[in-house]
Amino acid sequence: MSNSHGVSLRLEACAKSFPGGSRALDPVTLAVARGETVVILGPSGCGKTTLLRIIAGLEAPDAGGRVFFNDADVTKVPIEQRKVGMVFQSYALFPNMSVAENIGYGLKIRGIGKAQRAARVAELVKLTGIEGFEHRRITQLSGGQRQRVALARAVAVQPSVLLLDEPLTALDAALRERLRSELDRLLRTLGITTIYVTHDQAEAMALGDRIVVMRNGAIAQIGSPREIYFSPQSRFVAEFVGAANILEASIENGELKLPGGRIKLGNGAPAGAVTAMVRPEAIAIVPPERAALCGRVDAVSFVGDRARLIVTGAADRPLVLSVANSTDVKVGERVGLAIEPDAVRLLPGDRR
Amino acid sequence: MTAPPVLVAQISDLHIKRPGALAYGKVDTAAALTRCIAQLNRLRPRPEIVIVSGDLVDTPAEDEYEHLNRLLAPLEIPIAVIPGNHDARALVRAAFPAQPYAQATGALNLSLAVGPLDLVLIDSSVPGAPHGVLDGDTLRWLDATLSMSPARPALLFLHHPPFVTGIKHMDRQCLRNTDDFAPLLKRHSRVRLIAAGHVHRTTLTMFSGISTTICPAPNHAVALDLEERYAPSLMIEPPAFHLHAWFAGDEHGELVTHVVPIGDFSGPHPFFDAQGRQL
Repeated sequence: MSNSHGVSLRLEACAKSFPGGSRALDPVTLAVARGETVVILGPSGCGKTTLLRIIAGLEAPDAGGRVFFNDADVTKVPIEQRKVGMVFQSYALFPNMSVAENIGYGLKIRGIGKAQRAARVAELVKLTGIEGFEHRRITQLSGGQRQRVALARAVAVQPSVLLLDEPLTALDAALRERLRSELDRLLRTLGITTIYVTHDQAEAMALGDRIVVMRNGAIAQIGSPREIYFSPQSRFVAEFVGAANILEASIENGELKLPGGRIKLGNGAPAGAVTAMVRPEAIAIVPPERAALCGRVDAVSFVGDRARLIVTGAADRPLVLSVANSTDVKVGERVGLAIEPDAVRLLPGDRR
Repeated sequence: MTAPPVLVAQISDLHIKRPGALAYGKVDTAAALTRCIAQLNRLRPRPEIVIVSGDLVDTPAEDEYEHLNRLLAPLEIPIAVIPGNHDARALVRAAFPAQPYAQATGALNLSLAVGPLDLVLIDSSVPGAPHGVLDGDTLRWLDATLSMSPARPALLFLHHPPFVTGIKHMDRQCLRNTDDFAPLLKRHSRVRLIAAGHVHRTTLTMFSGISTTICPAPNHAVALDLEERYAPSLMIEPPAFHLHAWFAGDEHGELVTHVVPIGDFSGPHPFFDAQGRQL
């Protein structure tokens, strides 16, 4: 079962306008490889769900947009013929049926025989970790178990593509995190082409082979989780996928000039005014006498595995640092800051 | 060569009580539902889904919903449910935790994609009152939901009919804010049917230019009394449910509603013999 399956997916210039004339989606072009998990990440109203609905066949793109499954044009093919498996935030299980009946329902209406159906249900029950619950009623399950059943039901029919729309959003934080890692294992085991829509950057980082960050109906950036996190191409992406210190400053002689000193940049740094980004964990505390950049500790908060510091006076706005929880600094203390040249990302001016 | 229709069954006003209790001291609603389910399970081809358009239980009470869930277990077709005036939203939410209701609190609205159709179920119940209202959240959600996928035909289900039937005591508790509902529907050409319950009788009309029906109940009927000759009363009449059949076609296709009586009936008896002569 570890072989990749499902289809490859291609969207060409898929835009969506609503009858009132408002544009939900600018023309989007996107290719997804067979077996790949692509996460569509963005705030509410960014067009991510519209994009998912176009892939599903619930929504037709505006004229000129085309959807391909394995190079076959399915733009005009209705949802029931696209063989997509869908899981939503709300489980949409059949309340009058048991766990096993829910999982096997799609197979039953496709005329799959009882024995074959039972074998497939058993396989999925095991895979999704709901063994022992096969004969329970849906009312007797927890939220997390229900979402496992919904997932098992969606993949039971071996869909061409699995579409997940915020499947973990309705669950509480601890459960969400646990289910996230289970989901990751499951998607890797299934190897099925998956489109996962979420507004949660942690989910996107954990699950995506690639992440598509969306904003205002357009793709802001496509890349691996590492690329998106470490090399954001806009201030929006930098701030959306994690905590970011944004520095508005100028570069002179290969150094970023700040009120509290300077940061040495790599070769080839341009001169002039720039917007730069530094992640909180990329700033280290060093003795001030040995530092090219200094500031004053404004706040220290212990957050368990890390400590979070606010340092003022170094940059034009307070810097946020995430440091080892053993770091011994006090509020009011003058500290030196060390930042590696490649931890500073120059961002293009944001087009709004 | 026409494609087979998409079948959506609708049952309504189940009024389930605690085991052994009779509705209004007269009607065994549990036995009535069991006969209805047997009839649904006999249908060929199978409907894609059964919509239960409100008044799931009678009081309402938690153990009535438990009883309902036990009675529904033999049904071999998936269901979706919305509340009526005899229900309580919190109890429905608890009894049907897997239903994809659109809001986390308040009205229990949901939409389901069934093949080429969107089924849009809206909650017209008003906590503590018998009449119906579509609240602001529901109207906004409905407008947004119908704005999506304008090419897909939609069937709309709600408990309270948006029209008067002539049965006065029921008309006092039909949907109140039809002035909000009708103009909203005018903005969306994809609605092919408005299917209500509440009155326990098959009733057909047009609302805002759209075919509109009331589904009969599997148990008793509200007496057909158009001149208030007697106090609000029920009649034991032949029980039935609705089977909505959607056929693909121009624009948003065609919709036909069949009334299916519940019971064991004689037949089928052929009209013609083997030689094609009428019997």
